[in-house]
Amino acid sequence: MTAPILHSQWSDPDGFYEALLDAHQSLSDEESVAFNARLILILANQLGDAELLSQCLQLAKK
Amino acid sequence: MKNDVSNSYQAAHHTNGYEFSQGTGYVLPEYESVIPEAVHSGAVEHHRILIVGGGLAGLTLACSLAQLGVDCVLLDEDNTVGVKGASSRGICYTQKSLEIFDKLGIYERIKAKGIQWSVGRTFAGEDEVYSFDLKAQGNFSLSEQPAFINIQQFYNEGYLVERIQELGKAQIRWNNRVTAFAVKDDLATFSLATPAGKYTATADFVIDATGSRSPFHDWLKISKTSKKGDDRWCIADVRFNTHPPKERHTWIEAPFNDNRAVWQHLMADDVWRIDYQMAPDADPAIVSREDLVRERLAKQFGAETKVDIVWVGPYAYRSECVDRMIAAAGKSMVFFMGDSAKVVSPFGARGGNTGIADADNLAWKLAGVVQGRAEPSLLNSYHAERHEAAVTNVKVTNRTARFLRPQDGMERIFRSATIALAKKHAFARSLVNTGRMAVANPYSKSPLTAPELALSISVQNVGFEWANGSAGCLNQLLQWACGLPLILLWAEGAQALPGAELKMLQALSREGQIRAVLVRQRKEAAFAATEQIHDAAGRLAQACGFSAGLPTQAWALIRSDSYLAACGSGIRCDAIQAALFRLHGRQKNAVDMP
Repeated sequence: MTAPILHSQWSDPDGFYEALLDAHQSLSDEESVAFNARLILILANQLGDAELLSQCLQLAKK
Repeated sequence: MKNDVSNSYQAAHHTNGYEFSQGTGYVLPEYESVIPEAVHSGAVEHHRILIVGGGLAGLTLACSLAQLGVDCVLLDEDNTVGVKGASSRGICYTQKSLEIFDKLGIYERIKAKGIQWSVGRTFAGEDEVYSFDLKAQGNFSLSEQPAFINIQQFYNEGYLVERIQELGKAQIRWNNRVTAFAVKDDLATFSLATPAGKYTATADFVIDATGSRSPFHDWLKISKTSKKGDDRWCIADVRFNTHPPKERHTWIEAPFNDNRAVWQHLMADDVWRIDYQMAPDADPAIVSREDLVRERLAKQFGAETKVDIVWVGPYAYRSECVDRMIAAAGKSMVFFMGDSAKVVSPFGARGGNTGIADADNLAWKLAGVVQGRAEPSLLNSYHAERHEAAVTNVKVTNRTARFLRPQDGMERIFRSATIALAKKHAFARSLVNTGRMAVANPYSKSPLTAPELALSISVQNVGFEWANGSAGCLNQLLQWACGLPLILLWAEGAQALPGAELKMLQALSREGQIRAVLVRQRKEAAFAATEQIHDAAGRLAQACGFSAGLPTQAWALIRSDSYLAACGSGIRCDAIQAALFRLHGRQKNAVDMP
């Protein structure tokens, strides 16, 4: 059973962080929310495994 | 104090509102009332098996019991099929239901009257988002029956009534209504009203097939889970002069319906079934007004299309599931079947079809007990198996309902994200949920299944050749077995069946405990049997789950409802005996009565 990885896996953390913020730059609040929803689905599909995804959801809850 | 407006909203919440039906309507048959002798004599009748409710589930059970040679009485408070003046109702019949109807002898009529389809397309806005072809999917491809046939519900009910009349054994009593229920002297006791007077009846086995407003739930204080929503639809059965393809078309967001959902299906008699999603909590009286319906149809099919409205009705739904499929009423047992056991959201054809499967599941078990072959504990498996199916179907359909009627805010945002991605990328199409089409639910917790089998699956109605070369199918073997367990044996090559096993199978067959048949792939195989069939392509083995090619010797035990109870490579007495033991309600740790 795969547990969520909690140590750093970023190949370029600052680069990603900047890109994520930049992606929202020209968006309204409504457009940002819609963008985030699409991004979540795209990224979730990269993981795929239902159990792993469920654990990630639990992690995000707090 | 009741307010008229809130009354009609409440009706929409709890029922399918047929009160506002319009259009020329269907002409439904009217049957003669049946007045039992007890009305005149005052005697209390006793029945071994009493079925309350003459809908899909009740009629399928009565027909199955009749075919198995078991007497039963079915009471219906009405004298017609469907509901007077009402609609097409459940129109998509699954392969499994069609296989059951084939076993009962009404499939040819359904095939002649109904519309076969296997392609479904889902649209959002102007774009097609998703499509499927059920013919291409493996779990449908081995059966003699197609993936789906669309036909109005009352046709299937009418065919069942006529088949029951042919078979005898089952007595349908039209215009017999249950007015009260009690447990007296440990027996389920019914007060019944007919047009000619009242009578009382008791029964050992009661089947509640009364539908989504079962009075038994209150009478027996049944615990259940229910969920209501504000999703509202308007159904229109129409004929028009254009001919769309015979496919299931669903729009998540239809530009011609205020960006709400639309379903489009063809049924018998060239009548189309169009379902329009309405605004949440919409007023049923307004949405089903003829002028508004015509406006919607004109937007969808063009103003020049000539439209004939056959029936219109508003629709609301809820989901519900009893916690136990069987209740005790003194020493009597009450079985919940069809909508009285569970109500599902209407997406994916999991309503009527599940009721039909409930009936097919119980029939052979009741027959076994009543005919003295099986212990009453066998009946407990109806709960183990059909409750799992009910819970699964409620869960799956509620997920669809949530996709089609998302809550405002985040749920709607995720749906928009899904649709946007699905238009461009395959991965997101798996999330688009306009109904997960019903399948024969497998059983994972059944006490009747061999422990080595993780799942008991329904074996498709596979075609083969009889020894004389004519065409046959699994249903004919099941009809021959008439409720008994059916054992398929494979023994290719020079090997004969092992001696002890052969003797045991011969003895059990002679005693009328099983039916067994040898399945041969090559006609020149050395070993032959009186009861043998030819399956050159090995499709029966495939349907029984022997996926990695057939071992030299193998067996499978199939129940009367087509479900696989046990199988194995190598034919061994102890394995077969254990499997048969289980199917007769005998097991080491007997399941307690619920």
